[in-house]
Amino acid sequence: MEMSDEALYTIPVGPVHPALKEPIELDLRVEGERIVGVDVKCSQAHRGIEWLGMNRNNSIQNIYLAERVCGICNVCHPYCMVLAVEEAAGIEVPERADYIRTIVAEMERIHSHLLWAGVAAHEIGFDTVFHYTWALREEIMDAIEYVTGNRVTKGIMMIGGVRRDITKEREERIRKALRYYEEKFEKIEDLVLHDKTIRMRTRNVGILTREDALKLCAVGPVARASGVPKDVRQDYPYGAYADIGVRAILPDQYTGEIIGDVYDRIVVRLLEVKQSIQIIHDALDNIPQGDIVAEKNLVKLLSMLKRAEGEGIGRVEAPRGEDIHYVRLRQGEEPFLSWKIRAPTYNNVLPWIPMLLGAEIADVPIVAASTDPCMSCLNRVTVVDESSRKEFTLTKERMHEMSVRKTRRMMRHV
Amino acid sequence: MPAITEVWKVLFKRPFTNRFPAKYAPRSVHGFVRRVQAGKAKIAPPVPTPPNFRGKINYEVDKCIGCGLCIRVCPTKAIVWRTVEVEQGEKKVAKKKVKIFVSRCCFCSQCVDICPKDCLSMSDEFLLANEDKLANELIVL
Amino acid sequence: MCELCTLLAGIIGTLVLGIFAIAFGLSVKGIDRKLSARMQWRIGPPLRQPFRDVRKLLLKQSVLPKNAVPWIYNSAPVISLAALISVLLFLPIGPVPALLGASGDIIVVLYLLIIPGIAMIVGGFSSGSPFASIGAQREMVLLISYELPLSMIVFTFAWMYSIVAPSLPALSFETFGTVPIWSVLGPAGFIGATIFLVVLLIVTTGEMAKVPFDIPEAETEIAEGIFAEYSGRNYALFYLADAVKMVVLPAIIIAIFFPYNLSPLLSEYFPNLPMSDWVAYGVDILFFMLKVLLIDIVAVTFMRTAFARMKIDQAVRLYWFHLFTAGIIAMLLVAADVMGVL
Ligand code: SF4
Ligand code: SF4
Repeated sequence: MEMSDEALYTIPVGPVHPALKEPIELDLRVEGERIVGVDVKCSQAHRGIEWLGMNRNNSIQNIYLAERVCGICNVCHPYCMVLAVEEAAGIEVPERADYIRTIVAEMERIHSHLLWAGVAAHEIGFDTVFHYTWALREEIMDAIEYVTGNRVTKGIMMIGGVRRDITKEREERIRKALRYYEEKFEKIEDLVLHDKTIRMRTRNVGILTREDALKLCAVGPVARASGVPKDVRQDYPYGAYADIGVRAILPDQYTGEIIGDVYDRIVVRLLEVKQSIQIIHDALDNIPQGDIVAEKNLVKLLSMLKRAEGEGIGRVEAPRGEDIHYVRLRQGEEPFLSWKIRAPTYNNVLPWIPMLLGAEIADVPIVAASTDPCMSCLNRVTVVDESSRKEFTLTKERMHEMSVRKTRRMMRHV
Repeated sequence: MPAITEVWKVLFKRPFTNRFPAKYAPRSVHGFVRRVQAGKAKIAPPVPTPPNFRGKINYEVDKCIGCGLCIRVCPTKAIVWRTVEVEQGEKKVAKKKVKIFVSRCCFCSQCVDICPKDCLSMSDEFLLANEDKLANELIVL
Repeated sequence: MCELCTLLAGIIGTLVLGIFAIAFGLSVKGIDRKLSARMQWRIGPPLRQPFRDVRKLLLKQSVLPKNAVPWIYNSAPVISLAALISVLLFLPIGPVPALLGASGDIIVVLYLLIIPGIAMIVGGFSSGSPFASIGAQREMVLLISYELPLSMIVFTFAWMYSIVAPSLPALSFETFGTVPIWSVLGPAGFIGATIFLVVLLIVTTGEMAKVPFDIPEAETEIAEGIFAEYSGRNYALFYLADAVKMVVLPAIIIAIFFPYNLSPLLSEYFPNLPMSDWVAYGVDILFFMLKVLLIDIVAVTFMRTAFARMKIDQAVRLYWFHLFTAGIIAMLLVAADVMGVL
């Protein structure tokens, strides 16, 4: 199938493509089936979330905005944001709230990793595993619904604590879900890791070397699969993680070697599901009694935040990797003075280039999916052009000028 | 290859899918709804909601004192002011109340938490899909 | 019979056969989707869903891409469907002997079987989309790969017949029907023929372009590949061709490996059954349909449910290396059996 002097041609993958569930564009230069050039074009959809948080909303409203940065990581974004606000305003969080936050965040990790396993299987045409994992995922979704009141947007974070306690019945419900997964884990592992066709499609595919992972600042399971033992829960523990003691999971714990391919990423994620189950058990066992929120009276909380002045950074290990929120508050102003979100996918998109160069077209969906990209988190400008070395940057002035021109143009048509 | 045996086992299992609202998509949704209303068809029940589920909002207008706190915290700006005429003895007085546009609501329940008079609460009603986002069912007065 | 009558009978026969193949193929597709869904723990669409799909596609506009070559683009689906239906004319359908059995043989069937693939390749290239071109390239590679094991099977048996039954035409499905292969083979040949059957089932999956060999269409990779630009009536024709394939390919397997009928058995074991000729015919046709369904469940439903999609080089390796080796072994076994070495 090697056709040597076949013309190079470019295939666009995205912004709308069945392999990518969200808008991003990959321009691939291909020679037959081999990829010789990769160009990633992000920022296909910008929603202006940070702008809203800096101009329209007060801090409490921003929690729900942060929850909607991403549909799947809807605990880690608000978690990260409230950590930043608490640091900025100097609020002490009660210990029980820390534990509850940890439990909910880990429940989210279980659901996110199972969801990912299904999507990855779908990308390589294995819909059966996709349907199985998503069916198994229902249990944790139901438990989340039971604990927080909703399946998806959990709405449990509050500045200074959490909004719902984990009562006896809720604890029972969580334990039931955990037992379910302990029982089913072997089956999931068997279906995903021991399947020959899955192995064929993922072993030695999309390799990211340790050096590249470090150079391109990969985060989360992508970095860990390449042998970088990087995990915010281990390096800068927040919540209850310091008490529990989390170790970053590397694929060699399971396979005995680190290759940094898609298979290793699957291994890391599945082991993390197991780890999360253990963390939740530990947290439920050791949860201290006490308040769940620093300031119960929301009116008081709002005026306290209005008076606060300062800046804070929140770092959270989202299912996809490290999430960072930077928040600055100014006295007398309700919206944040500045708010900056650095979502994990932002770091994990650039590694696509070394992963994809030299791969086949058939590898694109699974390699892209293996970083568990979440475009809704990522919306900044990255311009890379590997083959033609063309650099192209949009300056703020130029963007401003362009938007003024567009507004004029549109006004003429009204 | 575990999937080889697994698929045959699953073949004889009851499908995992919940049949809500019907096993197969009806030819016409409106027709189906009408038949259900006429008692000619039955809806397969949805998964039951857990206690403290956050569904459509309830508002007890009489208890409301019009403090406006709910308006202040609602992240989606789903709550707006409204004045009602209330008879107080002889004369009529305009009182400040609120109304809630459910189609904008994101079910965060923040207004419920902040309301000092507990006049807001969340029901477990979640079948709220509608073609008209300003339909009467979707405006809570 | 006068010439005109023969012609008329031929036309009517083709029509009847075509309609039967389409209707039956669509029903098999419905059953396939339902079973596959159940294997995936889902409910799945109602059985008549494929019919609805075709109806909907026929109602939709057929869009011609800007840089397509119209006449090639539009004729590819027609050729594809027509070729498949004409294959059926050379195949025995249960008790009904092949309509054109006298004038053609297995070689014709093998050639006709390539045509839908080629039509798809040409259609893909002519639609002027990079996804379709990649799909067409992949289909080309796949076509070459599965052709080899397929011909190997057919020619081994043809050679076998030329030795064991020199009086019969070796390359005719009629011969397979009168002297079923199992009846002439000893134990070694039996093993060889079983290997051949497995190989042929895998070839069938590839020929129908289902997971794990749906590489030319690979939804998540190249957005349905060859069919990326097809819509409306044209796509409906490809859809029908796919449905007919689900009858034609099993029919070939049946003709080679299971050319049995049920009615002789029935009348033997239950001699007092009122078995008129017509009833026997009906029973045998139903039996044939059942056989087609079973083969489809193994070669399509099961395969596409239990495996992930392969990459094109992996598929080529599977066909050219693994299946070819298996085929050679089977061939040697059959040959040794026929020559009486073992
Ligand atoms: S539940 Fe949330 S979004 Fe809905 S009205 Fe109340 S505060 Fe607004
Ligand atoms: S917070 Fe409660 S009392 Fe105040 S305006 Fe809203 S509903 Fe009325």
